Order: sequence, then structure tokens, then C-alpha cells
Amino acid sequence: MTEPTPELKLEIKNLIMSTLSITDVNPADVDDDAPLFGGGNALTLDSVDAIEIIMAIQRTYGFRIADQNLAREVVRSVNSIARFICEQRDLQNA
Amino acid sequence: MEITGYTHKMAAHCESGTITSLLNHGGMEITEPLVFGIAGGIFFGYFHRMKSFPFPTFIVRNKPGKMRTNIEKRLGASFKTYRFNDPARGKEKLDELLAGNIPVAAQVDFFYMDYVPSWERVHINVHYMVVTGKDGDQYLISDSYFPRMVKLDSASLEKGRFAGGTMSPKGFIFHLGKLPAEPDLNRAILKGISQACFYMLKLPIPFLGIKGIRMFAKKINDWPAFARDTEHLSHEIMKINILLEDQGTGGAGFRYMYATFLQQAASITGKPQLKGLSSELMKIGDGWREISLFSARIVKNRDLGPASLKELGDKIGLQAGAEEAFFKSLSKAIR
Repeated sequence: MTEPTPELKLEIKNLIMSTLSITDVNPADVDDDAPLFGGGNALTLDSVDAIEIIMAIQRTYGFRIADQNLAREVVRSVNSIARFICEQRDLQNA
Repeated sequence: MEITGYTHKMAAHCESGTITSLLNHGGMEITEPLVFGIAGGIFFGYFHRMKSFPFPTFIVRNKPGKMRTNIEKRLGASFKTYRFNDPARGKEKLDELLAGNIPVAAQVDFFYMDYVPSWERVHINVHYMVVTGKDGDQYLISDSYFPRMVKLDSASLEKGRFAGGTMSPKGFIFHLGKLPAEPDLNRAILKGISQACFYMLKLPIPFLGIKGIRMFAKKINDWPAFARDTEHLSHEIMKINILLEDQGTGGAGFRYMYATFLQQAASITGKPQLKGLSSELMKIGDGWREISLFSARIVKNRDLGPASLKELGDKIGLQAGAEEAFFKSLSKAIR
């Protein structure tokens, strides 16, 4: 699998913040590997935000996350979203 | 003691996942979306205050238990079922089957499944999982919502199996009886699709199928009149999001799972038009996901006035039109 680049991770953080209209957090303060939900990160999101992010990923990158089990895994952290996008791009290019 | 050769798998929905697991264990290679589609799982019903539903609600799948009986009818597989009044007798039979190396599906009240974090547990009497062994007082459970096998003590399992209330399980268990030598998947798929189209388009009942989606679109504007207060209304509107998107629906009210079924059905039946219809249904699923998000958003923003509800109703109305066109095309595609 293609490894996610720092640029992709920054793009994801910006996408999350613009989708959820978060203006008071610096992307650099968002931990790439810490859970986005339930505290422990500069962004503290809830289940409604999760659906917003899933739809934003679909709109921006064209990858639909239809399976809920997969959705829970994908939106866990910035790193897991980045890995999902890289995997899907690899599949598309295969 | 643990059933030999049983493989735990996650699934999008407990009933279709449980049936798929039993069929797979018995040696039939079949996916969860195929089980869902053959069983005619996709549906819609709107219940505007009835005896058993004091507040309006809706369903997006067929009646619990129907998936098993439809799979029996259409695939020629058989399941042995047992129901009990006496919990001791129910436990004895379960232990006897497990001792015979038979994985057993059980209907339970989800609330008593202690392996689920307490904040996620709700009373739902129609949760299904597979019991796959016993270790002292602990049963081994293959619950398709979990990434791995879990353990549950016998007292909790008994409470779950014999919980009271609407659709009480009454200790209901079932296991695979026999599998057909050569299942006719093509015929089973076409029967499943045909039933889904009939139920969505032609049932002469004003609150079921497409008519039900239209009724939902119209009646959502009346919901505030039935709510005790804003808090109650928020809770009920939030349920739209939960019923469409929460665990157990496969996402966006089962529409994504049925779309996957159609994709797999296209190659089995040699009807490529089902692939195009699968993409169409994925888009309809996106529409339901938008509705789910819109509902959650107006609750979060405490924006539950008539304008928001009208907008929500209009979005639901658009879904009715899209689903009507889709099921008409699907019905033509299998002729």
C-alpha cells in the first residue's frame, strides 16, 4: 500500500475542520493517531460529525464508505482516514 | 467446549449475518448481501401512531424472522427451530445441541449482552447471535457486530433469551438442519427480487412500501403535536438517524447492502442491468444518508421548527420518487 504523505494528512485535517466549521484549532495540534472521538485529541467529535466526515470523504475523494463496520474503523483517526484513501487509490490504479 | 471448525465473521446486520454464518459453517459459500437479497430483506413501512407504536416510527427491512423462513423457501435449506416457556428446558436444549457440536443461533434482548459496553445497550428483543461453545458458566458467543468471539455468563444469556415485552424471544433458538445438494441461486435471487418489488410497489396498504415513504414525508410535519416537549421531539427525530444509519442496518437503511446484493446478483444471473441498478440504489442510499444527517443536525442545533420539518419531509418525499422509479426498473429487469 502507498504510505500516506504528511500533505495528505494535513489535507484531511483541513477537510474535517472546514466540514465541521471548526476555526479554533490549529491543524498542527491534531494528533494523527489519536482517536477523533471521545476526547484525547485537539478535535473532540461526536457521531453526527462522523457522518459529516464520511460524506465529506465521499464528496472530496469519491470513495463511498457504505459498510458501517468499515466506517467505524476509517473515521477513528486522521491516520486511519489517510490509510483508507491510499488503499482506495491503489485499488483504483491497480 | 467449542464448536470445531466455526469461523467468526463480522456482518452488517445481526439476522442476515447469523443466517450467513450458519450456512457458511454448514458448507454453503454465500455472502451476507446475497442472503439479505434472496430473503427479500429490503422494505419500508411507516407506522403513524398505532397500538404498539405510541409515537410514529418506521422500518426499513422486512419483519424479524422472515429472513430465515424466506431463505428456507427459496434456497431449499432448512433450519430446526425451538421455542420454550421454561428457561431451564431452554438451557438444557441449548447445552445438548452445543455438546453435539452444533452452532446455535439465539434470539435475545440486546440489553443483556454484557460484552457490549453499557452505554450502547438498549432493549431490542430481536437481536440474533450464534452460541458456539461453553466454558464452565460462560457461553462462547459469535455476535456479528463484534470483531472477535466473546463470552457471556449463563445468567445474562438466560435473561436475554427470556426477556419479556413486545416480540419477546421466548428462548427461541435455531440451527441449520440440512442444505440443498445443489442450491438454485439464480432462481432464489429472482424470487427475492420479485418479492421486494411487489412489497415496495404493489402492497395495497397505505403505510407500506413506497406509499409508506410518501406517508412518512407528509406526516413528519405532525410529529410535534405528538411529542410531550422539545426534548421528546428531539429524541424521536434523532431516532431517524439511528434507524437509518446506526449499527445493524448495513448503512443508509439497508439500501447499500441491497445494492451490493444486486451487484453480486448481476454476475450470478447473467443480467448486467442489475449492476447499473446497483449504482442507482447506492445513490438512493446516499439520499437516505443525507436525511439521516439532516435529522441529526437539526436535533443538534435545536432547530425543530415547522420549516426544518417541512424541509425534512420534502427530502423524504424525493426518496419516495427515486425508490418508486428504481423498483419499477428492477421489476422490469428481471422479467
